[in-house]
Amino acid sequence: MDKIKIGIPRALIYYYYFPFWLKLFSSLGVEAVISDPTSREQLDQGVKNSLSEICVPIKIIVGHVLDLQQKGVDYIYVPRFKSLRKDAVLCPKFLGLPDLFRHSLPQLNDFIISDTIESKSDDISDYSNYTELAEVLNIAKSEMKKALKKASDLWQRYRKLLFDGYLIDEFLALDNIEALEAKISQLEKEDDLPQSRAEVKQEEGSEETLDIALIGYVYNVYDNYVNMDIINKFKELGVRIHTFSMVENEIIEKELAQLRKPMFWEFTNKLYGATQHFFKDNNIDGLIHITAFGCGPDSILGQIIELDAKKYEKPFMTLRIDEQTGESHITTRIEAFIDMLRLKKESS
Amino acid sequence: MKNLYLGVDIGSVSINIVAIDEENELVFKLYTRNSGNPIDLVKKGLSKFEREIELDEYKISGVGVTGSGRQLIAYVLGADTVKNEITAHARASTYYHPDAGTIFEIGGQDSKLIIVENGIAVDFAMNTVCAAGTGSFLDHQAERLGIAIEDFGSLAHEAERDVRIAGRCTVFAESDMISKQQYGFTKPEIIKGLSEALVRNYMNNLVRNRVLEGEFIFQGGVAANEGIKAAFEEEIDSEVIVPKHYDVMGAIGIAMLAKRDVKRKGVESQFRGFNLTEEEFETSSFECSDCANHCEVIRVIADDKVIAVTGDRCGKHTAASMTDKNRNLKKDEKDSTKEKEAESKEEIEEVDLYKIDPEQEQKVMKELEELEEQEREKEEAEDNVLL
Repeated sequence: MDKIKIGIPRALIYYYYFPFWLKLFSSLGVEAVISDPTSREQLDQGVKNSLSEICVPIKIIVGHVLDLQQKGVDYIYVPRFKSLRKDAVLCPKFLGLPDLFRHSLPQLNDFIISDTIESKSDDISDYSNYTELAEVLNIAKSEMKKALKKASDLWQRYRKLLFDGYLIDEFLALDNIEALEAKISQLEKEDDLPQSRAEVKQEEGSEETLDIALIGYVYNVYDNYVNMDIINKFKELGVRIHTFSMVENEIIEKELAQLRKPMFWEFTNKLYGATQHFFKDNNIDGLIHITAFGCGPDSILGQIIELDAKKYEKPFMTLRIDEQTGESHITTRIEAFIDMLRLKKESS
Repeated sequence: MKNLYLGVDIGSVSINIVAIDEENELVFKLYTRNSGNPIDLVKKGLSKFEREIELDEYKISGVGVTGSGRQLIAYVLGADTVKNEITAHARASTYYHPDAGTIFEIGGQDSKLIIVENGIAVDFAMNTVCAAGTGSFLDHQAERLGIAIEDFGSLAHEAERDVRIAGRCTVFAESDMISKQQYGFTKPEIIKGLSEALVRNYMNNLVRNRVLEGEFIFQGGVAANEGIKAAFEEEIDSEVIVPKHYDVMGAIGIAMLAKRDVKRKGVESQFRGFNLTEEEFETSSFECSDCANHCEVIRVIADDKVIAVTGDRCGKHTAASMTDKNRNLKKDEKDSTKEKEAESKEEIEEVDLYKIDPEQEQKVMKELEELEEQEREKEEAEDNVLL
């Protein structure tokens, strides 16, 4: 009998949890089918099938889900991410994601598996988060628990590499579990430094290496269609990138404790904690907040960072991404920001 | 032979060409309106340069291109430095005004704020999604009021009363202006109100909670507008300096940056020479259908040779053109015929970027005339009311 095919949209929180999911599904003997990287066609489809006011990351996941439907999968895995911390939830759009599909794409009702993920930490491997999945796939509790343990172990190993300074980008192209595990094992053994700490090869006579903290949600930072390939643009310009996923939990928690109370949205909290850490890091030359047009949580976070940047005297810029296809506005801003940082460094 | 450095600023509304010498003295300056075909305008500008400057005495040792249309023209000219307009503007104004603290730059479709400390840009802001208050809007309003854009700013001084115009959005500003006109406010008063609204909008969108420190420099095409300058001075309660070459600061800045770059690298300029004014340049574009992105790929063709390809996100067409360039001429010709064959096979739709549809144009002209007619009637009616 053929393996059951479960589709995972390459969007939103996929960029955070994909190693976990890939390992989980392979351990369960299920074939995971990932939608293609975001393209104009997917975005167009997403725009057509969602509310016009909703933010572009949501439009993108709609496009990806439609892409999976065309790929002929048996189910589509769109969990309802409720919380990853006590007293904080995710953005309301994450909470309502399965409902959004049920109502705007009713033809997909029978396909969608939408367990509610309610966790006290980033570790989402508790069995209670997978009851619907276990039922649909007809998997015994003990077997599911075993698979979750394996997924969790791999995820921890992967996270360690991220904390070491690797970009999520370096793993994203590997969307089958064998290649991903091989890469993780290889990097664990390697002595080479990750990009955030490695020497950048520069042409002779050209400028100094810069360290920039790119503050943004995984689906904005790592979807290089919607952000106009920003990571590679930075690499070409001789910039080392630092993101929140490189900052260890303890540091984020420590910084977050400075707030009178954490914000309502978990990833916004993580960004806040990491940003505070970057502000205090003398190696960071500047910060860029990359945000989707119309993002509610970011309207608060962006203000806080902007004010704090002044306090810490760190150069700061906001990049807004939306459905547009012209790159010149992003290129101009990035270039100008980098020129500014370089001139500043040269003169001091 | 003296070294000269060319700076070209391809803006949305104007195209500027300057040449500076080793001492940063301006040897040549040209400000032209961008009427839609930048390649032709740059060629014309260079011919003018050729006629005015004794080329035997000078050598072009560096070329810099900036502005929103920089990529294409950089290929055409063979530029040494291609940089964004923010860096270029900051470079020029800190050269002429070493004590500059704040630079207001308002161009055709962009407005920028650059904060400078000790001659170095430390912070900047650019208008986001909206172009309210930039040059093209003023152009449009001047036309609507039947005033030459050159006289637009100075008219504001003649205002006797204050009138508040909504400046948040161009569309609202326009309807507000029309209704205030209908209440009987004069043109100078409307213009003054509009200038104040634009500055208010600039303060809200770009300056926000920044603390501005002097000297204050105001540059870009809109700096010619005395009304806006006066409104800035009133808003920040301080003198605002408009540099002598306010309209070509971007071009001057990029020429300086090109000079720095060729010197630092110690290389010869890649300038394609003045012969390019006689070459035929063409741009064509096609929608690539190799993947789901459907990029609009743009080709620049000089004398039947593809000199640049741009617009493809994956970079494969660009890369192909790069290897083409490294081959010798004969192979190039062969390649281009091959390419043509391939094109006809795939039936790629070619679009001429700058082609003008005569029918469409006639239609637009007719509409414009009608609009003007309506305007005249309205004006007459207004005059009657005032009488």
